[in-house]
Amino acid sequence: MENELKIDPKLVAEFFKFNKNMIEAPKMVPVPDEINLEMTPYDVAYSEDKIRLLHFNSPTQKQHQTPLVIVYALINRYHILDIQPHKSWVRNLLNQGYDVYMIDWGTPSNIDKYLGFDDYVNGYIDNCVDFVCNEASVNKVSMQGYCTGGTLATVYAALHPNKIKNLVATAPVIDGQRDTTVVGNLAKHMDVDNMVETIGNMPPEFMYYVFSVLKPFEQGIEKYINFFRNIDDKNYVDSFLRVEKWLNDTPPIPGELFRQWIKDIYQDNLLIQNKMYVGGKLVSLKNITMPIFTQVAVGDHLVSPECSMPLHYAVGSEDKTLRIYPTGHVGMIASSFSQKNVLPELGEWLKERSNK
Amino acid sequence: MAAQSDYKKSLEYYKHLSLFWTDIVYLMSSKPSALTSAGPMRKFAMQAKKLATEMIEANEDLTEFNTRLAEYYKQLSDTWIEAQKRVNKKITEIPQDMEHLEASKRVWIDMFENDFTQLFDSEKFGENFGKLISSELELSKHWNKMLSVLLETANIPTKNDIDEIYKELHSLRKRMSKLEKNGNQTKVKNNGK
Repeated sequence: MENELKIDPKLVAEFFKFNKNMIEAPKMVPVPDEINLEMTPYDVAYSEDKIRLLHFNSPTQKQHQTPLVIVYALINRYHILDIQPHKSWVRNLLNQGYDVYMIDWGTPSNIDKYLGFDDYVNGYIDNCVDFVCNEASVNKVSMQGYCTGGTLATVYAALHPNKIKNLVATAPVIDGQRDTTVVGNLAKHMDVDNMVETIGNMPPEFMYYVFSVLKPFEQGIEKYINFFRNIDDKNYVDSFLRVEKWLNDTPPIPGELFRQWIKDIYQDNLLIQNKMYVGGKLVSLKNITMPIFTQVAVGDHLVSPECSMPLHYAVGSEDKTLRIYPTGHVGMIASSFSQKNVLPELGEWLKERSNK
Repeated sequence: MAAQSDYKKSLEYYKHLSLFWTDIVYLMSSKPSALTSAGPMRKFAMQAKKLATEMIEANEDLTEFNTRLAEYYKQLSDTWIEAQKRVNKKITEIPQDMEHLEASKRVWIDMFENDFTQLFDSEKFGENFGKLISSELELSKHWNKMLSVLLETANIPTKNDIDEIYKELHSLRKRMSKLEKNGNQTKVKNNGK
C-alpha cells in the first residue's frame, strides 16, 4: 500500500497516554475549589471596613528592629506571596528574621464604589502603618509593594516619607506611557468615566478578560496541556492547582480607584511627572528620600520593566538600588528562582538598613 | 454607506411614529387614569414614553455594538489565518515524529502567541476594543434607565437613589475615620503629658 499514512507509533502512544491522563485526572487530583490557599499562620492585627492587616507568626526569633509592611496588589489576592512553603515570599522573610505584616484588601462590594486613592493611601495604608508603629514601638516601618501595590506604596512613601524607613517596589506600575504590555494598550483606549459611572466597581470578569489576552496560547492552552501531561507529578499538580486557584480569584476594584488609576497613571501619566494629586495633595516622587530598592523582571508581561524602572530615576533618594531579574511577574515573587536569588538579595539589603 | 443611511432614516421614522402615538395615547388617557393615581398604572403611563425612547435608542446602540463586535471577531480571525499560514509553512520543515512533537508544538504556540500579542498591542485593536466596551456600556445604561422606570412605578429605589446613599455613606465613613484618628492622636498626646 503506497498511500498508507505513516504515523510514528510513539505519537499514537503519547496521544493515548494524554487521553488516559485526562480521564484519570479527576481521580488523581483534588477539586480546585477544596484547596486551601492559606499557608503560614497569621493573626489579624487590625481591620477596617473590608481590609485586614495580617501579622504572620514567625517560626524564628525576630532579628531586625524595623517591621516590614507588605502592600499587596489590587488584583487577585495576597496568597501568591505565600503560595507554597518552598516558594513562599513571606516564609522566606520570616526565616530571615523579619517581622512581616501584609495588607489584604478584602472584597469590595457595590457600597465601596466611591473608595479612591485617597481612601487607600491616606486612609487604609496610613492606619495600618500607625497600628504597626504603635504595636512594634517604632517610628517608621519598611514597606514593600507588589505590582499595583507597588504604586500604592510609592504614593504613600511620597506623601508620608516620615513614616517609611525603607521602600521596596516590586514590579510597580509607575510610568503608564512607557508600559509596553497589552494591559497598557487596552487601558489607553478605555472610556473609564463612562465605565465607572455605568457599572461602578470593575468586575472580576473584566479583569479575567484583560489577563486572558496577555499570553493567550501559553496561558490558555499550553499550560493545560502540560498539566494533563504531568498529572503523575504530585509537586507539579499541587503547584499548578494552587496558582490556578489564585489566578481565578480576583476581587472587584472600587470604581473611583480604578478611574483614577487608569486616567492618572495610564492615560495622563501624571505620577511619573509629579503631577498626580491624592487627597488634595501633590504626589512628588522627589519626596521619596528614604533608601529604595526597585525590583523588576525582564519577562514581565503584566507590568513591563520600562514602566517600573523610571521610579529608580525619579526619586529623591541617594541610597537607591535597581535590580533586573531574568524572570516574569509571578516568577519574581513565587518561584525557586525568587527563593534563590531575589529574596536573599532583598534580605541582605533590608538587613543593612533595618537596624540603623 | 447608503444602506446605513436608509436604515437610520427608517429608524428615525419609526421613532417619530412611535413617540407620536405614545404621546397621543398618554394625552387621551391621562385624565381618566388620574383616578388611579395611587396605583402603579398611572405612574407607569406617565413614564411609558421614556421606556419607548430608551428601547429605540438601545436599538441604535445595538447596531454600533454589533459593528464593533463583528470587527473584533474579524481581527481575531484574520490574525488566526495569518498565523496558521506561517505555522503551515514552518511545520513542513519539522519531521512529524515523537522526537519532534515538542518542537512542532513550540512553533505553533510561539507563532500564534507572537501574532496575537502584536494584534492586542496594536492601535486598531485597542481602539475597537475601547469602542466595543463603550457600546456595551451604552446598552447597560438603557437597560438601567428602563429598569428605573419600572422601579419608580413601584416606589422601589433606583440605581441613582442607591448611588446617592453609597456616596453619603462613603463620606460619613471618611469623616468618622478622621474623627477616630484625631481622637487617638489626642489620647496619645494626653498620655504623653
